[in-house]
Amino acid sequence: MTGPTDTNGRTVASLRELPQSIEPARDLWPGIESQLTALPAQDSAQGAGPGYRRALRLRWLAAAAMLSCLAVGIWIGRSLLPGAAVGHLPPSTASRSTVPGLAPTALDAAYVSDPRYERQRRALVRALQERLAVLPPPARAKVTASLAAIEKAKKDLEGALGQDPGNALLQELLINTYQDEMRVLTDVHEASDSGRGI
Amino acid sequence: MVHAQAEETRVDWESALVQRARGGDRRAFERLYREHVGRVYGLCLRMTRDAQLAEDCTQDTFINAWRALGKFETRSSLSTWLHRIAVNVSLARRRKSGPVEPLPAEEQETAAEWTLETPVEVQELENAIGALPEGARDALVLHALYGYSHGEAARMLGIAEGTCKAQLHRARRLLRERLGMEVN
Amino acid sequence: MRIALSLTLALLPLLAATTASASSDKTFDQQVPAQPRGVVEISNVSGSIQVSGWERNDVSVHAELDAGVERVDVSSDGGRTTIKVIVAHSSSDGGEARLQVKIPKDSELNVSAVNADLTSSGVLGVQHLSAVSGNITAELGGADGELKTVSGDLRLKAHGLPARLHVSTVSGDVYLEHGAGDLEASTVNGTLILSLDGARSVRARTTAGDVRFEGKLTRGATLEASTVSGDLNVRASAEGGYAYEVSSFSGDITDCFNASPERVSKYGPGSRLEGTRGEGAGHLRLKTMSGDVQLCDRP
Repeated sequence: MTGPTDTNGRTVASLRELPQSIEPARDLWPGIESQLTALPAQDSAQGAGPGYRRALRLRWLAAAAMLSCLAVGIWIGRSLLPGAAVGHLPPSTASRSTVPGLAPTALDAAYVSDPRYERQRRALVRALQERLAVLPPPARAKVTASLAAIEKAKKDLEGALGQDPGNALLQELLINTYQDEMRVLTDVHEASDSGRGI
Repeated sequence: MVHAQAEETRVDWESALVQRARGGDRRAFERLYREHVGRVYGLCLRMTRDAQLAEDCTQDTFINAWRALGKFETRSSLSTWLHRIAVNVSLARRRKSGPVEPLPAEEQETAAEWTLETPVEVQELENAIGALPEGARDALVLHALYGYSHGEAARMLGIAEGTCKAQLHRARRLLRERLGMEVN
Repeated sequence: MRIALSLTLALLPLLAATTASASSDKTFDQQVPAQPRGVVEISNVSGSIQVSGWERNDVSVHAELDAGVERVDVSSDGGRTTIKVIVAHSSSDGGEARLQVKIPKDSELNVSAVNADLTSSGVLGVQHLSAVSGNITAELGGADGELKTVSGDLRLKAHGLPARLHVSTVSGDVYLEHGAGDLEASTVNGTLILSLDGARSVRARTTAGDVRFEGKLTRGATLEASTVSGDLNVRASAEGGYAYEVSSFSGDITDCFNASPERVSKYGPGSRLEGTRGEGAGHLRLKTMSGDVQLCDRP
């Protein structure tokens, strides 16, 4: 039989001094949550009110970016990406490389994208100048600098991946950077709606 | 002032989380899980004496709690309510897996602090508790470790208060034999 | 003539009582009853917004309004109080409003501003604070929070009460003191300086800025921090210890455990440091492309 283990040799003078709280060896929440999801009716999260609803207006764009990044991420490896979603996508979506047995390269990664993500990104980029023009000048300058930092990061990462295409760290950081770019484009889109009059 | 405010806020925070979880907010329920999983797992582990069973018991406890959130009165202690569910889950699993041991005759157990004649290593004490027969162990864990009264422990276990006291008396005697010292 | 003069004199009090006029700077004051756990929504284009929680079941608004602000609309209905600044001209004409708002301390607070600094204190409910060009300074009372700004800094003070926080800025810095619970923090080229008393999960991300984390992790907690070109400096202790995994493509990795990072490849750049502290109950992952990483499990 197994039971609570205390390997520190600590002594107690009363049963009441035994610890009431013992943490399980692993996080049980994922198993619990998956069963809650399967329950009828009670699993609908109502969120926290209009504040969340307003903030979530354009989050589906981020979700589309995530789908794209997850497709890229399949061949990076399950253990390197956060969350468990990676393992649920079929490996066949991972790469469009037509040469069997050839490891995907950074160039392959650049073209492995969800079409919805690509469409929405193009639309946001096209509208970017117009959206930036609505922002207060200090914000406009800072956002432009941030987007430039993202571009530089992408170039540096893609350059490094060109030398070392199988490098999982670089691949993960590149995905993060694409996600961050989408976050900034989405934030600018929302912010410029605010700037036009709340 | 800040400490009192923090305590008050902690209680308000838990009630607010329960309200939100009732409305289907799983993130709020996860927060409650994280706050209480240690005490629930601790109880399950001591009742089942098996880490895998205790994990199953813990998961079932929280799933049952989610289903029954509408019945929880926010004035009561959430921790106690979760323990009640955990005890029911553990007992149900046990009933499925084998015959139930006979109950001892009821006794008048006097109040005890459960102090040991000399300090004992935690592991040795946990092993001694784990070696107790199920009924005695259940009563001991709820009363001596988790501080429930005879009446509360008896209600959780679905037995008469006198029977609960008898189990505690039996637990003390067996611990005394096992540890070779008085348990007062 | 007499009638016209009388009419004008009769109308003067009404003119004085209107909430705004386009001709001069002015103040605005209004108080409305509110539910103790209701929602308060505030929006302002330009200026500042200071919100504080109080014990009363009222929302009190005091504002100083520049020329160019047409009016302030305050309404309270069914548990929701709304405060909205209406500008007569575009914000480039200087239509600033400086709002001081007191709300029931358990309210849910939603604030949206364009070119304004936001401050909140003594608010115990959920907070959603959003600014385009403005700094956010907030005291967090144990409820969840989502705080974001495009080009400002975020300065947050919690009280060690577990909560779920999501904070982001595009180009500013994030400072968090006495946080606890679950945190997601991101900036592109700012710095994240995070201090948590009891973290369960932390995800911190920058592109070009640094991440500095100091604090305690609860048992089984996870901490993930990544940056492309910034440095990572993490001093984290944890109940039950943690398994750590540190990777840098071209930067240096140092630690206080006397562990040595290993080269990922004999022929190219990249180093990795993996190991366990204590029982290894938690998980810590730090990744950077060209930045340096420093890791320690004590302050």
